[in-house]
Amino acid sequence: MSSLDWLVLGATLGFIVAYGLWKGRQQRNLDSYILADRKLQWPTIALSIMATQASAITFLSTPGQAYADGMRFVQFYLGLPIAMVLLSIFAVPIFHRLKVYTAYEFLETRFDAKTRTLTAVLFLIQRGLSTGLTIYAPALIVSVLLGWNLYLTNLIIGTLVIIYTATGGTKAVSWTHVQQMLIILGGMATALFIAVRSIPADISFVEAVRVAGRMGRLNAIDFSFDLTTNYTFWSGLVGGLMVALSYFGCDQSQVQRYLTGETPAESRLGLLFNGLVKVPMQFFILFVGAMVFVFYQFVAPPLFFNTAERAKIGVSRFAADYAELEDAHRANFVEKRQHVRELVTAMRADDEAGATAAQAKVRAVQARDAATRKAAVDLIKRNDATADVSDTNYIFLSFVLRFLPAGVVGLVMAAIFCASMSSTAAGLNALSSTSVVDIYKRLINPDATEADYVRMSRLLTVFWGVFAIAFAMYATRLGSLIEAVNKLGSYFYGSILAIFILAFFTKTVGGTATCLGAIVGEATVLYFSFFTKTAWLWWNVIGCVVGVIAALVIERLLPNNEAEEIAEVA
Amino acid sequence: MSDDTPPIGRSWTVLYAAVLINLVVMIAIFYAFTRYFR
Repeated sequence: MSSLDWLVLGATLGFIVAYGLWKGRQQRNLDSYILADRKLQWPTIALSIMATQASAITFLSTPGQAYADGMRFVQFYLGLPIAMVLLSIFAVPIFHRLKVYTAYEFLETRFDAKTRTLTAVLFLIQRGLSTGLTIYAPALIVSVLLGWNLYLTNLIIGTLVIIYTATGGTKAVSWTHVQQMLIILGGMATALFIAVRSIPADISFVEAVRVAGRMGRLNAIDFSFDLTTNYTFWSGLVGGLMVALSYFGCDQSQVQRYLTGETPAESRLGLLFNGLVKVPMQFFILFVGAMVFVFYQFVAPPLFFNTAERAKIGVSRFAADYAELEDAHRANFVEKRQHVRELVTAMRADDEAGATAAQAKVRAVQARDAATRKAAVDLIKRNDATADVSDTNYIFLSFVLRFLPAGVVGLVMAAIFCASMSSTAAGLNALSSTSVVDIYKRLINPDATEADYVRMSRLLTVFWGVFAIAFAMYATRLGSLIEAVNKLGSYFYGSILAIFILAFFTKTVGGTATCLGAIVGEATVLYFSFFTKTAWLWWNVIGCVVGVIAALVIERLLPNNEAEEIAEVA
Repeated sequence: MSDDTPPIGRSWTVLYAAVLINLVVMIAIFYAFTRYFR
């Protein structure tokens, strides 16, 4: 990175931390520290919701996914707008009426203390680990490509977030989200603009898009029904709906964002705005990856993007074998570039037969090159069984560092750091709130003063920050990182959603049946994840459906149907 | 702002419909995009 890049990065991060500290000054009670005095308007809520979900992994891994596998990942978000509408109708009015601090507080009103505690603990486990990943994932990629120390990078990102989150609470988190989201969108738009401009001048934008399409990178929608395929229209619509309902309706890191609304209308509008723009935004990020893919049809990409693993194999006993594979990869590239040129020429001449023939040639070379890459990966693994071979995560940042001009690299790096900090801050904020409200205040020290609770919230923010950094230090080799985060959530989301569905839509199921149902749902998810090839998006559906049905059945089997008095909250 | 009257759109039903219609339009555009550029 050049001095200008360092200046842009340093100034942006310094501004974010200072702005967070300034916005979050003078927090004296829980309402202020946890819910920003419930005074936020919908534009702030909307951007805060978006910034919470948009982790750095989204911006590093998603373009790489489009490069390697096309745009099918966009289908993961198809259920999200439906979830935003459902939550606006059913969840927002109840949360606002009960004036809860956390989503889990509502469960005690509806069921009992043990259901609230079980759900809060499930959340703390899942979000505690996920927050570690949101620090680790970008730190790993950045440290590999820039040669930075991974531990130091983890420590810097984590510490910056802890400073303003612990000090300023939700006000600092929500207001910095607004700035961070604007920087993120600016960085990605600039990256797309330069990626398109970097394609050879004689190839127009439309031709670049057509090349991407012909090479299978614009496959946004796939209506086939296959339970073992991760991203199809159906898994996105049904599984994605379950993920979104659980994430936005039952995960405190998101619920806390819209609980800050001055009125239910502000909260609803924040959610609905997210429902409107999230899908096109993900499409746009994937499209950046597709354009990087086209760029690399004319400029030779490395055989392996991860420079650290490349350096290791370069000095190993397999160095000569790897060099041979690199030669083969270069030869494949030259041949493929020739065929891509033929494809463009045929498309210009409206020669469909010629285009089809050229496309077949390109695909044949692609298949040959894929075999070369697989051989390289095998070699890297033979050299070091613990090597990180998930190259997808390195594609986008590698492109940024090699081909973007000074200053813009700093802007994109700032966007990546902002994304990492925004989701980490929301995670720490929610972990602290849940620990204080649902565990400390409810079970350990119910009679403390407001000032004590705020002090404990700050302490727990620091605790969870240190926990996340420590987990980030130990996290290694997680495959495609964005999938790792979503997969981790999918182990728990179905069961947690089952608890909330029973809370919202049934009046006869009690806390014991609900807890047991959730445990059965969780066990079923674990069975499907470890012993079948069911795609992970479907785990959410399985956990939720099994959890609800099991609770309904158990309720009937329990003596006296628990005879619990169930509060009328809906 | 009252909860029953959103600041934009005539009613909440209209806003919910707008979000869902937007989704349907997006899916249609993405499908056409997939087919056209395949």
